[in-house]
Amino acid sequence: MSYIRVKDISQVDERTLGVLWTDGRKNKIDVVDLRRRCPCAVCIDEWTRAQRLKPEDIAESVRPVKIESVGSYALKVQFSDGHSTGIYTFQMLREAFH
Amino acid sequence: MGLFSSIKDKVVGTPKPLLTEAHIKSALSVVMDPDLHQDIVTLGFVRAIAINGSSVSLEVNLTTPACPVKEQLKSQVEDILKALPGVSDVTVTMTATTRAPQVSAAAATNPSLQHVKNIIAVASGKGGVGKSTTAVNLAFALAKAGSKVGLLDADVYGPSVPRMVRITKPAHDAGPNVIVPPESHGVKVLSAGMFSQPGEATILRGPMAGNVVKQFLTQVQWGELDYLIIDYPPGTGDIQLTISQTAPVTGAVIVTTPQEVSLIDVRKAISMFKTLKVPVLGVIETMSYFVCDGCDKKHEIFRSGGGERLAREYGVAFLGGIPLDPRVVVGGDEGSVQVQSLPDSPAAKAYSGAAGAVAQQLSILNSVDSGALNQFVLEWKH
Repeated sequence: MSYIRVKDISQVDERTLGVLWTDGRKNKIDVVDLRRRCPCAVCIDEWTRAQRLKPEDIAESVRPVKIESVGSYALKVQFSDGHSTGIYTFQMLREAFH
Repeated sequence: MGLFSSIKDKVVGTPKPLLTEAHIKSALSVVMDPDLHQDIVTLGFVRAIAINGSSVSLEVNLTTPACPVKEQLKSQVEDILKALPGVSDVTVTMTATTRAPQVSAAAATNPSLQHVKNIIAVASGKGGVGKSTTAVNLAFALAKAGSKVGLLDADVYGPSVPRMVRITKPAHDAGPNVIVPPESHGVKVLSAGMFSQPGEATILRGPMAGNVVKQFLTQVQWGELDYLIIDYPPGTGDIQLTISQTAPVTGAVIVTTPQEVSLIDVRKAISMFKTLKVPVLGVIETMSYFVCDGCDKKHEIFRSGGGERLAREYGVAFLGGIPLDPRVVVGGDEGSVQVQSLPDSPAAKAYSGAAGAVAQQLSILNSVDSGALNQFVLEWKH
């Protein structure tokens, strides 16, 4: 039993991240959208799950600096606005961005 | 006609089938690996075939030296070779190259674990089930079978590994912020307990404890290992999360005692690994039974069948049941590891069997080429 994981990850264009999953599915993810949907405890209230981050506060010009794997289940993104605490699980990426 | 053929035989001799490498390979292609469900020739296990007149020697290279069916495969190969016409002398050498999960070249973001092929988590939801004893014995059993093994005691608050193993080769620095772990009979061992005085508590808040474990996984030169066994602290908290986020754990071994109370917490550990996408390799049951030295009767002190039931419930392998043996306890307290000091005891045999089963499950897992990236870093171009 193995889980669905990342087979390939690449920069498609200046604001699109491409992910190829081990089951063959491809996702194209808008990086500004990715920043606006940050799941970290600062951006999402840990108890109510309400979004604290106001999407309109995030500039259209935000870009990743570096994207890194976290264990076998997630990735984290260091953004150009200095934010880097979000851990995006593979499951969340597959469900929220397609 | 009869006369003619007998003359012909005398002139050219009986046509002997020519012994070739292809001939040998086709004969051996009936030998199946029971776990990988393919024959050993297709799997590329048959190597270094040498034919010298009527003597044949070859190598069978398995996926782990701890393979439980090693002897069985060896005698099967020998029997087939001996039955070939024109073969009188057979030498079969069993070797092993442990396979790593399929990783792409972009991987290796953490040089500490770069040459570690498999990382095995040994965990349970509950303390006191014999997790450390199991981790230590699995590590030594795999090493005894010929694998390169490391053992990391990640229980920052209650490290018991330093007491259970005797260090035979000390640690040393390998440059700034890099240490080479000490060794015990060839097994590289590291524990938070090595950095504190015996009897002295490690008092740390969660984030600091996490940092200690993180250092063990990023600033330690583990070198080339077939298996790195991580003895997880009990529970499903900070440290467990940190390990699973820092290291690409290949699979988890779940340890439980037979009774239901233990199983409740163990189910939580399984659910944690599910969330973190770490495949569960199987369940080891400790304290399965006690054999009375007076009457040789098996006493199932903590009920029976809990581990097997759990394995069935989650559709994972039951890796073995380990009997209670007072000598395991004494050995643990004195720094001698059962599989090494008393290899013929029932507990040691059960641990060796379980180690073989763990290696087997990893080989099965790694035989599937999912093409997944183990670790990755992508720098964004502007």
